[in-house]
Amino acid sequence: MKMEKALEELADRRARALEMGGAEKVERHRSRGKLDVRTRIEKLVDPGTFREVGTLSGSAQYDADGNLVSMSPANFIFGRAKIDGRDVVIAADDFTVRGGAADASIREKSVQAEKMANHFRIPMIRLIDATGGSVRTVEAMGRTYVPGSPAWGPIVSNLETVPVVSLVLGSVAGIASARAVASHLTVMVKDTSHMFIGGPPVVARLGIETTKDSLGGYKIHEKSGAVDMVVGTEEDAFAAARQFLSYLPSSVGEQLPQLDRCEVAPDQSLRDIVPEDRRKIYKMREIVTRVVDPGSFMEMAPMFGRASIQGLARVDGRTVAIMASDPRIYGGGWNADTCDKIARFFDFVETFRIPVLNFVDCPGFVIGPDAERTGTIRHGARTMSAIYRSTVPIMAILIRKVFGVAGAAHMNHEVYRHRIAWPSGDWGSIPLEGGIEAAYAADLEAAEDREATLAEIVARLDALRSPFRTAEAFGVEEIIDPADTRENLVEFVHLAYRRNMIDKPPVRYRP
Amino acid sequence: MADIELKSDVSGRVWQIPKSAGDSVEAEEAVIIIESMKMEIPVAPEQSGTVVKVLVAEGDEVEEDQTVAIFSPD
Repeated sequence: MKMEKALEELADRRARALEMGGAEKVERHRSRGKLDVRTRIEKLVDPGTFREVGTLSGSAQYDADGNLVSMSPANFIFGRAKIDGRDVVIAADDFTVRGGAADASIREKSVQAEKMANHFRIPMIRLIDATGGSVRTVEAMGRTYVPGSPAWGPIVSNLETVPVVSLVLGSVAGIASARAVASHLTVMVKDTSHMFIGGPPVVARLGIETTKDSLGGYKIHEKSGAVDMVVGTEEDAFAAARQFLSYLPSSVGEQLPQLDRCEVAPDQSLRDIVPEDRRKIYKMREIVTRVVDPGSFMEMAPMFGRASIQGLARVDGRTVAIMASDPRIYGGGWNADTCDKIARFFDFVETFRIPVLNFVDCPGFVIGPDAERTGTIRHGARTMSAIYRSTVPIMAILIRKVFGVAGAAHMNHEVYRHRIAWPSGDWGSIPLEGGIEAAYAADLEAAEDREATLAEIVARLDALRSPFRTAEAFGVEEIIDPADTRENLVEFVHLAYRRNMIDKPPVRYRP
Repeated sequence: MADIELKSDVSGRVWQIPKSAGDSVEAEEAVIIIESMKMEIPVAPEQSGTVVKVLVAEGDEVEEDQTVAIFSPD
């Protein structure tokens, strides 16, 4: 047979690559409750579809006669595969080879992986389990080096070209953490993943004692906003990646996936959700999940910027972006974190041209010393700018409150407004509660019985508060029976899909 | 089951404390109500159990994420 020897060597070298960091290191890795890198890829993608690139790369030792003695595979594996039949790029760190350390890797591999996703315009999925630079490299190289991030350009470009998902599957630091968050979806696994700029030993040099959990565990990052989702197991993380991709096109400029249509009967129980007492809260997620296709809502960043609920869902089989106030958190008022969350969300929906359903119950920006100290108004103005620059179709569903500057930002008012309200609607420049004392200060000052005068003013203004008076003046386009919400959404979504790929501005996405 | 801390989701003022130490509480029933942004925002456990200790008084200012009660789930 021709090439017999060469083919034997090829098979031998491929077999060595499959050994990863060696039996002992793989076993130690597994004993920490983690899957090895090749099992991860196998579980993530459609069976048998992973086509590796750079299988033979690594660091080899030869004897004096030039025979291969040992081979340590590269600690970064990548290739093409399919997920639900669609092409993707998978890029995965191998922690069993020098802890996946970035500067011990073959840099060109990660650059090529990012470029491949960009070239073929297919989603990029990173399985991250690596540290950043290591001081050991200095000795190995015999010199230091000026840091640079050769893959960062392609990473940024990918954010504006294809869906990018990063799964944090170990204790990651430095450039690996930056790669993790430079994504449209970043997922952490509860007890086996951590994320730091510098880990506990590095932080200890500052005189601050920490543990992996206290410094960069999931409880820190689900609230820091650095990750979008926390799941229980690596398998859950793979399922989250697959579900996320199912809502999105393979690249920008392509229409969103459209599944089979979905009939849902009008739901009269929606009439009972919003309490009559305006000081009482309710569960906005109940409304969202009852009007989108059953089981289709995937929430992102539920523990960060919590006054705004965000995620993806389907209506009549079409992907929609969900933005909804949560009255349980500051009555739905926006603080700095909430503003940042919304601004990033608008970058995301603009990138992939996803029509937005905005369920509004917003009393305005959160006020008070904390709000001023954290510069809420600047974060808010930035968010409003993002909304006013957006061109994707937005439908606002005014559930209850719409007050103040943040309330006004429920859509871009410069363009056609697609908007409905529930009869529970309550709006204005500022809420009557609290605004009266300021606006009627002179009357109250002059009153003999301050409380009685206040009650009289409240009663007078309350009578003017009916949303139907606003509708008379066409200040709100339509007030509907909450039970009819779904049918209104379905009609909008079909109209939105006629419109969402028109007038696309250049994509700009910032992580 | 080990005791857990009930935390306030928001900063604000303690408006009412409907439950005391020793009281049993249903899932999602308010132990403490915080007034924030003119709304009544309950601090409530996700599952039923017993209040072990209330750590705040009516009128107290609380911070976001502050532990306001200790709770023993069933």
